[in-house]
Amino acid sequence: MALLEGKGVSKSFGALNAVDQIDFQIGQNEILGLIGPNGAGKTTLVNLITGVYPLTTGKIVFNGQRIDGLKPARISRLGMTRTFQIVKPFPGMSVRENVVIGSLFGKNGAARTTRSAFQEADRWIEYVNLQDYRKASVDQINISFRKRMDLAKALAMEPDLLMLDEVMAGLNSKDIEEMMALVTRVNQELKTTLLVIEHVMKAVMSISHRVMVLHHGRKIADASPQEIVKDDRVIEAYLGERYAKARRAS
Amino acid sequence: MQGERKKGWWILGVLVGLGFVVLPLFIEGYWIRVLTSIFMYAIITAALNIIAGYAGYAAFGNIVFFGVGAYTTAMLMLRVGFYWWTGALIGGLLAAIYAILLGIPILRLRGHYFAIATLGINRATEQIALDWGSFTGGGKGITLPLPKMEIQNFYAMIYFIMLGLLLVTILVNYVISRSRLGYALRAIRDNEDAAEASGIFAPRCKIVAWAISAFITGVTGGVFAYWFSFIEPATVFDIMIAVKAFVMMMLGGAGTVLGPVIGAFLIEVISETVWGQFLTLHMLILGIIMVGVVILIPRGMLSLFGRKFSLAALWRNIKNQAV
Repeated sequence: MALLEGKGVSKSFGALNAVDQIDFQIGQNEILGLIGPNGAGKTTLVNLITGVYPLTTGKIVFNGQRIDGLKPARISRLGMTRTFQIVKPFPGMSVRENVVIGSLFGKNGAARTTRSAFQEADRWIEYVNLQDYRKASVDQINISFRKRMDLAKALAMEPDLLMLDEVMAGLNSKDIEEMMALVTRVNQELKTTLLVIEHVMKAVMSISHRVMVLHHGRKIADASPQEIVKDDRVIEAYLGERYAKARRAS
Repeated sequence: MQGERKKGWWILGVLVGLGFVVLPLFIEGYWIRVLTSIFMYAIITAALNIIAGYAGYAAFGNIVFFGVGAYTTAMLMLRVGFYWWTGALIGGLLAAIYAILLGIPILRLRGHYFAIATLGINRATEQIALDWGSFTGGGKGITLPLPKMEIQNFYAMIYFIMLGLLLVTILVNYVISRSRLGYALRAIRDNEDAAEASGIFAPRCKIVAWAISAFITGVTGGVFAYWFSFIEPATVFDIMIAVKAFVMMMLGGAGTVLGPVIGAFLIEVISETVWGQFLTLHMLILGIIMVGVVILIPRGMLSLFGRKFSLAALWRNIKNQAV
């Protein structure tokens, strides 16, 4: 059974169909890559899944439970967590306090005392290798560390499904390698199912088990990474019609 | 090292507390009144800190709960014959219920919109007290039953009540700051969307915080009514009390346990000793302090004693502003 399944999911903002009749599913312990040109509707889709926006049509089922119409906080406590494209840390708090929010309010957070939540937070800070910056304030650390802190906070919520919205954007190639290794490790060690939105093709193609491509709010492809790179519609969406035609001709 | 430092602060705190307990033996009349009024401002500011400091919701109209508490106490004493303290407690409860009922719709507003909504509520509630003259006494105000004890003893009693209430309020702030509610509120202040995505039920947390703030403010209003034994809408719904509380909170350090209390002491002591002479200039100076604090020590006085923000940081801020 799929962990997350959407049927006929749509979202319109006035006349704009940002997400248009998309069916999707993610299996247990899968890494699904979600790609598409700017404005394709990737982040909107994540916002629909996490309950930030109400659906215009369609339904979403997570872990056998219908979740469309629930509030974001409710959905996240069911075991679904996201990171944000533009990292949204809590700037008035230290790295440790940011991460503890995850262990206090995540899936098992309600049963924890603040003391044990801090122990949990420390564990995840070590997991993403940030232990030297536990006490640092968020504005003192660079973007690469902030992305890792955001990941630690998300992991501290112990999600079954983790959605990473451009977790590699703005990182240099060495940091990207590390982040890729970390994401793969999360999937293998923690058995976390992952939905990865990414513009860094090298990364998304090498870590994903399957890739879904959106364009103008529609799903245009859904296949293994090897097939996706050869798909005409995908090439057309990214490089334009003329290039695709020329490529077919040659 | 850090533990010992912490211990030192605790000892200092207890000593200061004990100092205020024995102080009435050595001072009288005027200074008892001044200190009682300082305690009262410190309570109002520390209560405001729960919603405005931790949760970051600028409840400018928070003084409405003071008025609700004061009028509830007055009405219960006069019309039902309750003791002042049952009146004040019920006043606090009513204020908390008022905050919950109002919070359900208006805590959905953010930023300036919320601040303005609370101002409107304060004004509207004041108008009810004004227009419902047959019950509240209207704009002429209303006189409460006088205490049946020697006036010196009465003032000393109020002094200790306010002191006790202040200690309780500080304790409430301390407990909140280390509790899940405190972490939730700070997350909401820093980024409400991210807080909700992290599993925090923001509306519920905000309403609880506002209700606690309202309860303390309401009880304080009740004690004030008994203390002054005369209240009128213009005094107990005075928006300037809330504005002053904001200045005190920002000066001391919003979202800290002791900052608001320290801010209240500083402003009130200066206000009593110096500006008392210049009534109109008073507001001007208050404004200048507000601007200065926001630019130079945005995290408040307490941050100057921390490691991260020191006097060096203050000097940097001054230099940056000068350039």
